[in-house]
Amino acid sequence: MKRVFGYFVLWYFLFSFAIQPLNLYAEEKTDSTATPVESRMALNYLCTADSTMLTATLSIKKGEVSLALEHAMVEFSVVNGETSMVLGKAKTDQEGIAVLKVPIAGLTGDKEGLVAYSAKFTATGNYPAAEASFSAKPAKIRLFFSIEDSLHILKVTATQKNEKGEEVAIPKETVFIYIPRLFSLLKIGEIALDENGTGTLEFPKEIVGDTLGNLVVIAKIEEHDIFGFAQGQNLINWGVHKQYYKAEVPSRELWTPIAPMWMIITLLVMLAGVWAHYMYAVYELVMIKRLSKKDKPLF
Amino acid sequence: MELQQKDPLREFAPQLERTSILGYAWIVFLLGVIGLGFYAFLSQVWYGHEVTGMRDNVVWGVYIVNFIFFMGISYAGALISGTLHLFKTAWRKPIIRMAEFITIIALLIGPCFILLCIGRLDKLHYLVLFGRIQSPITWDVIAITTDIFGCFIFLYLSLLRDLATLRDDELLQLPNWRKKLYKVLALGYTGLPEQQQRLNRATDIMAAMVIAIAIIVYSVLAWIFSVTLQPGWHSTIFGPYFVIAAVYSGSAVLILCMWAFRKVYHLEAYITKKHFVAVGVIMLVLAAFFGYFTFSDYLTKWYGSEKNDELLIQLLFKKFYWPFIISNYIGVLLPLLVVGIARFRTIRNITLTAVVVVIALWLNRYIIVVPTLESPYLPIQDSRPEWFSYSATWVEWSLTAAGVAIFCLLFTVASKFITIVPVTGLSGEEKKEDVLV
Repeated sequence: MKRVFGYFVLWYFLFSFAIQPLNLYAEEKTDSTATPVESRMALNYLCTADSTMLTATLSIKKGEVSLALEHAMVEFSVVNGETSMVLGKAKTDQEGIAVLKVPIAGLTGDKEGLVAYSAKFTATGNYPAAEASFSAKPAKIRLFFSIEDSLHILKVTATQKNEKGEEVAIPKETVFIYIPRLFSLLKIGEIALDENGTGTLEFPKEIVGDTLGNLVVIAKIEEHDIFGFAQGQNLINWGVHKQYYKAEVPSRELWTPIAPMWMIITLLVMLAGVWAHYMYAVYELVMIKRLSKKDKPLF
Repeated sequence: MELQQKDPLREFAPQLERTSILGYAWIVFLLGVIGLGFYAFLSQVWYGHEVTGMRDNVVWGVYIVNFIFFMGISYAGALISGTLHLFKTAWRKPIIRMAEFITIIALLIGPCFILLCIGRLDKLHYLVLFGRIQSPITWDVIAITTDIFGCFIFLYLSLLRDLATLRDDELLQLPNWRKKLYKVLALGYTGLPEQQQRLNRATDIMAAMVIAIAIIVYSVLAWIFSVTLQPGWHSTIFGPYFVIAAVYSGSAVLILCMWAFRKVYHLEAYITKKHFVAVGVIMLVLAAFFGYFTFSDYLTKWYGSEKNDELLIQLLFKKFYWPFIISNYIGVLLPLLVVGIARFRTIRNITLTAVVVVIALWLNRYIIVVPTLESPYLPIQDSRPEWFSYSATWVEWSLTAAGVAIFCLLFTVASKFITIVPVTGLSGEEKKEDVLV
C-alpha cells in the first residue's frame, strides 16, 4: 500500500511539473488579454431634404480583436469657431452604432457655410474616450418625375444656401440614382448636373416595384469634399407590379413546420422495429430472472 | 495443451482480484492525462472557443474528427462482435468481449467531443425541445441514443453467463460489494435449459440488431456531411464509405487491444497468432474496400472537374499532402502487403500495421472535415487568412489525449470488473475447440 501511495505522490509531482508550462502559457495569455483597450469612433453624415443624420460607430480594439461597444452614450455637437452646441445624445446598439437625426434649420456654419459636427464618447470604466468629427455644407436634392413622348424622365435638382441664406444651384456635380432592393441599393444611373444644378435621366421601365408598382427613388451626392453625403428621395409608381407566386408543391425547406410524411413514417417504422426488439430482449431477461426462482443452479 | 486441464477462471482470477503496482501507475498516468484534458476544458469554458483553432469558417476541427473516429470504432466493435456471434465463428471467444467493450466505451466517449464543439451548452436541451425531424442532426441524436441502449443490452446479454460464474465462484477473493453486485447483475441465471434458450435467442436477436443499427447510425453520421452541398462532402457513396472506414479503423483498434491485453494479462495461450491473422485478414479485406471507395469518390470528383471539387483536390495534394498520402495510400497499401504476404504475417507486424491504420483513418477523417471548411463557397467580407486556416491548439490536443486516456482507463477498469476473455464458454471440450483452432 505504501508503494502505491508512493507512486501516487510521484505521479502527482510529475504531473505538477508537466502542467507548469501550461500554467505559464495561460498566464501569458492572461497578460496578453490585459493589453490596453483602445476605443475607436467613426462619424458618418447624411444630409436629406430637411434634416441631417449623424451616425457614430464606436468600437474597441483589444489586441488584434475589434469589437463593437454596445450601450455606450455618444454626445453629438456642432462646433462653430470656439463655441460648441450640443445637438443631442444617443446610445450605441449591438453593432456599436449611435444615430442622431437633427433638423437642418438652426445649424450654423462658418463663412463658407461648412457645418462642423463632432461625436464624443466619454471614458467609462475600462474604455477610454473617443472622438470623431466631420464637416460638410448642407445640400438639398429634389427629384421630379415626368413622362415625355412615352419616356419616363427623372429630373434632379441640387441646391445649397449662400451667405445670405438664399438657395442657389450646385453646378457641375454628379448625382447617383438608386432604387432600394432587399439587401442593398441598386444603382440605375448617374446624372451630371448642369450650370443650373439640374440634370435628367431616362428612367428604366423594367424595374420591379411593389404590388402597386411603387418605387422609392434615391438621388445621392457621395463622398463630396464640401457636401459630404447628401440625399433626396421620392416615390413613383413606375415599377413593374410584383406578382407573388405560390408554390403548388409542398416545399421541403428546413423551416417548414413539419417533416415530409415519408420521412416521419420511415423514422417511426425503423424506431418501432428496433425498440420492439430491445423490448423483446429485456422481456427475455425478465423471464430468465423469473426462471431462477423455480429451480436449483446447474453449475 | 496444459491449458485445457485448468479452470479458466483460476487463470483470470488475479486480473480481477488485485492490481499490480504497474497497473496503479498506469491508472495514475491516465488520470494525469485526463487531468490535463480537464484543465484544457476549464480553459475553454473560461475563455470560450477562442482558445481552440476553430473560427467563423472552419467551425469543425479536431473535436468532430475525434467524434467520427470514436463513433467509427464503436460501430466497428458492434459489427465485428455481432457478426462473429451470429456466424458462431470458432475463434471468436477470446476476442469478442474486447470488441463489445470497444463498442460501449467508444460510444460513451464519442458524443462528448460533440459537446466540446458546441458553443452554447446551456441551450443543449433545445435539441429535444425544438428538434426537427428534417434535420440530420436530429437523426443523429435519435440514432446514437438508440444505439447506446442497444449496445448496452447486447453487452449485458453477453456478460450474463460470466456474471453468474463470478457470482457462484467461492474461491475468488473479492470485496463483498463486488460479489453482491455480481449477484444482482447475474439476474439469478443458473444455466437452466430454458434460461439458456432464452438467453441465446435474445443474444442472437440483439447481435443482428447491433449490426443493423451500427450500419444505419454510421450512415446517418455520413449523411450529416453528404446532404450538404459542400465540395468533398456531397457524395452519394458517403454512407457506405463511412461504414467501411469505421469497421476498418475498428478492426485495427481491436488488434491493438488484443496485443495490449495479451501482453498485460499474459493471454498468449488464448490470443494466438491465428487470432491476429484472422482479424488481420478482416482488416485486409476492409483495406481493399476502403481503398476502392476512396478511389471511386475522388476519381468521380476529379473527372467531373466541378470548380470547387477541383479546388478541394488541389488543396488535398498541396497543403494536406502528407495526411492525404498517409490516409489514402499508406493506410490502404500497408495492410495489403503485411497481411497479404505470408512471411510478413507476424503478430508484431500486424500490430504495427494496425497502429498505422489507426493513424491513417484518423487523418482520413481530418482531411474530410477540415479542407472542405477551408474552401468555403461564399466570398466573405473582411476575411482574414487566419479565419480560413485551421490549426488545432493545445486545448484541442489535450482534450483529444484525454479522450484516448478515458478510453484506455475505462477499458482497464472494465477488465478489472469482468474477465477480458469470456470464461464460461472456455471450459472442457468447448474450450479446446474454441481456443486451439
